Amino acid sequence: MATSSLLSRISEVASSAGGALLGRAQSLRLPGVGTASAKDSPEVAARRWRAVTVLTDRIGTGPDLPAPLAAFGDRIEVRTTPAPAGKGTELAARFTAPADATDERVGKLREALRQAKQLIETGEVLRIEPQPEGRRPETPQGRVLEGAAARAPKEGVL
Amino acid sequence: MKALTWTGVNQLSVEDVAEPTLLNGHDVIVKVRRTTTCGSDLHLLSGYIPFMRAGDVIGHEFMGEIVEVGPAVRHRAVGDRVVVSSFVACGSCWYCAQELYSLCDNANPNPGITEGLWGQAIGGCLGYSHAVGGYAGSHAEYIRVPYGDGSTFVVPDGVSDDRALFASDAAPTAFTGVDLAGVRPGDTVAVWGAGGVGQLAARISELVGAERVVVIDRLPDRLQQVREVIGAETIDYTSTDVAAELRELTGGRGPDVCIEAVGMEAHSPGPQGVYDQVKQQLRLQTDRPTAVREAIMSCRKGGSVFVLGVFAEMVDKFPLGALMNKSLRFGGAQVHGPRYIPRILEHMAAGALVTEHLATHVMPLDEAPHGYELFKEKQDGCVRAVFTPNG
Repeated sequence: MATSSLLSRISEVASSAGGALLGRAQSLRLPGVGTASAKDSPEVAARRWRAVTVLTDRIGTGPDLPAPLAAFGDRIEVRTTPAPAGKGTELAARFTAPADATDERVGKLREALRQAKQLIETGEVLRIEPQPEGRRPETPQGRVLEGAAARAPKEGVL
Repeated sequence: MKALTWTGVNQLSVEDVAEPTLLNGHDVIVKVRRTTTCGSDLHLLSGYIPFMRAGDVIGHEFMGEIVEVGPAVRHRAVGDRVVVSSFVACGSCWYCAQELYSLCDNANPNPGITEGLWGQAIGGCLGYSHAVGGYAGSHAEYIRVPYGDGSTFVVPDGVSDDRALFASDAAPTAFTGVDLAGVRPGDTVAVWGAGGVGQLAARISELVGAERVVVIDRLPDRLQQVREVIGAETIDYTSTDVAAELRELTGGRGPDVCIEAVGMEAHSPGPQGVYDQVKQQLRLQTDRPTAVREAIMSCRKGGSVFVLGVFAEMVDKFPLGALMNKSLRFGGAQVHGPRYIPRILEHMAAGALVTEHLATHVMPLDEAPHGYELFKEKQDGCVRAVFTPNG
């Protein structure tokens, strides 16, 4: 394998590892560290409602569902509930079939909920790329961070 | 265009990078006239916030001129001279509605990182790592600012660029601490740290009616500025027992409000300082909370302790017993810029809040790596290095 191919492969692996690392780090339950983000068992996690609270009186359902969630079709169920004390409306979703709730798909559902909230509250989904940046050398640690950042919209405790 | 980039731990470089473009309808592009170092940048530089990628443009405290506006921008126009809030906030979520702008739900494109660290994601911050959004920063000729209507503030005529610059981050951070700590007329306030934020926390405490303000640091030049420009008293912690001094100054009570404006790289001359340094270097704790401990122990019973210095995650030997048994109110916050910037600009326009003295070293962007060296090592009396990317 040529040196450039090998380096490219190392970069890909590092980037993938960064994304996986972010996901795994949020599954750890270490004494005194990260307990706020510890995940449920896969069975419980598959049935848990993923929810955001949106500062609005009403959120459309059925055909009026925000586009990022509508894209899931009937693979998800959605519920909306008035939030207490004027905090808006709670928007929750989960996969209809627990078997559909793989880590990857739950990640996409998290991202869709966040985007739905942004669309309702601000009218658009915030973009970050492209933007100014200096030279980004192909280092393993750099690629790990890039992988983690790329995965970050789909990760978290949501 | 030219921009200052982080290229590795303790490494910075001025590079040619692409100019920013409008990415969202609510964006504005600002031509940067003044942009300054902030103490919190040193945590990025030193590698204590491990979410920097080589090539990231840093800088978050700045002012300039709007040169382009997105189609959804309603209240700003090309040519406006503005100061920009360092934290990015949408202005539309529940947290923004409560004026807790740094907690914005929608402004951090990478929420998974800080949700994992802290249980919830906070808002985004320009030029301050991928943990808070990965936005390109202000040490550049131009910068994209999301949510331009709510994040930029027109500078009144009569307020110079050099004064307005610090309405971006240092002054609103200070105001956040003074306000949320609950400083009231007649209070005695102690502030740890005589950098830009600490000095302005002292001055803003005076503006809201504090009767006596004391600032604690070790650097003679900064303490002199506190006495001569801010008009507050000072304590050099290397030459005296801070808690004893404060008791003596307050009839044995201790300060009513203690504001910590130091952060995770606090210094201490005693064994406690060595202990914290060793634990941080071994990564057995992420932050050195020396000043926070001292604030808690010094504060009067039933008083208020507020953390403005930036911390990342875990500390050791935290005096929770003192916090609980003394009935202290304890809080902390990143800057809620839009809540305070309009009031700050009014104070600046009235001459009640001056900041020019903080800019001890003004230089072109090409010299920014040297500016950070002066700032980090506290050389030549450097309080803040200020860069002028467009001359």
